[in-house]
Amino acid sequence: MAEVETRQRSQVWWAVGGVVVVVVLGALTRYLEQNVPVFTKGTWLGDIAKSIEYPVYAIALGLLGNAVLTGLGFRDRLAAGFRTEFFIKTGLVLLGASINFAVIVKAAGPAIAQAFLLITLVFGFTWWLGGKLGIDAKLRALLASAVSICGVSAAIAAAGAVQARREQLAYTASLVIIFALPSIFLLPLAVDALGLSAPVAGAWIGGNIDTTAAVSAAGALVGEEALQIATIVKTTQNALLGIVAVALTAYFAFKVERTGEAKVSGKALWERFPKFVLGFLLASVVATIFLESGGDKTVITTVNDLRTLFLILAFVSIGLEFRVAPLREAGWKPIGVFASAAVFNLLVGLGLASILFANFNG
Amino acid sequence: MSAEDGVGRERRLALNEDWAATTAGLVLLALVLAKILPGWLVP
Repeated sequence: MAEVETRQRSQVWWAVGGVVVVVVLGALTRYLEQNVPVFTKGTWLGDIAKSIEYPVYAIALGLLGNAVLTGLGFRDRLAAGFRTEFFIKTGLVLLGASINFAVIVKAAGPAIAQAFLLITLVFGFTWWLGGKLGIDAKLRALLASAVSICGVSAAIAAAGAVQARREQLAYTASLVIIFALPSIFLLPLAVDALGLSAPVAGAWIGGNIDTTAAVSAAGALVGEEALQIATIVKTTQNALLGIVAVALTAYFAFKVERTGEAKVSGKALWERFPKFVLGFLLASVVATIFLESGGDKTVITTVNDLRTLFLILAFVSIGLEFRVAPLREAGWKPIGVFASAAVFNLLVGLGLASILFANFNG
Repeated sequence: MSAEDGVGRERRLALNEDWAATTAGLVLLALVLAKILPGWLVP
């Protein structure tokens, strides 16, 4: 008993150590983001330094920290403190305060249409291709949920719904991060090359990159308007997660495992609904009322600074969480399915965003 | 810990984290709007 307690206490201290690592790297990110342009002003590096945004420093420092901690043998023990989901969700609730509620209402129609069509098409494609390649139904459910809805959190919800194994969840989470990381940089480059407008770019990024943190990083690289639309689109996809998880529970109970036992109830739906979506909407409503009743605009700047701090912590955590090892164990088939689904998502997402957000004016 | 327990633990943690993030975000927003958390305190 005492041994268990000592082990649990030690795990808590390692997790606290992990959070400290994230905060230190986050502070370093903020320092570099604010000072590198000043230090390099007037030199040949000046223009490049000015164009590098905080997600780049944060992810690079996260990856560097990852390599150092892995080399020292501490990374896995500290990993419990790399809370990407907590940091990104707190940042997104705060982001809600910078979006006028009227913009959310206006974007809701196309965002819901895009999320519904993308989830249906991409989930269907991934499920079908995984079946053709003979991938286990539970892993297919995890891969399809992760690629079509919202990355790691969708995989966690789907894993609970279909009672997947822990290694299947770890493997899917690794795939999500490995694919999300290059997308953060490639999608903004593609946005430039294709000359997309900010709303279309935001909708494309929001509908494409799996993990919510990476969506915010790519959106921030494109610009504030793209970040806002990307967040609205991604938040809408997150909101549909509960429905997919409940549908998967029912499908596996009645069709795959034929146990006939499934909790398809309002309670199950609420349990799986991502609550931060409510926080995001509430923050927007509160800030809109605050500003329209003559509130001080400068306090919203402070909220935006706080939001940036949490996004930085989330991006640092993405770099720290990156792991390639689980992929070696699962073979090429799931990687092939995930990669094909990502390309399919990219093309269908571009088509839908171009149609649904063509005339969007925030 | 069995594989299923591991997934259950991940799910509970995700649910708690979801609530924690929502609460933290809204509390921070309230503190800033009420000017209890001033701008100079945010780096």
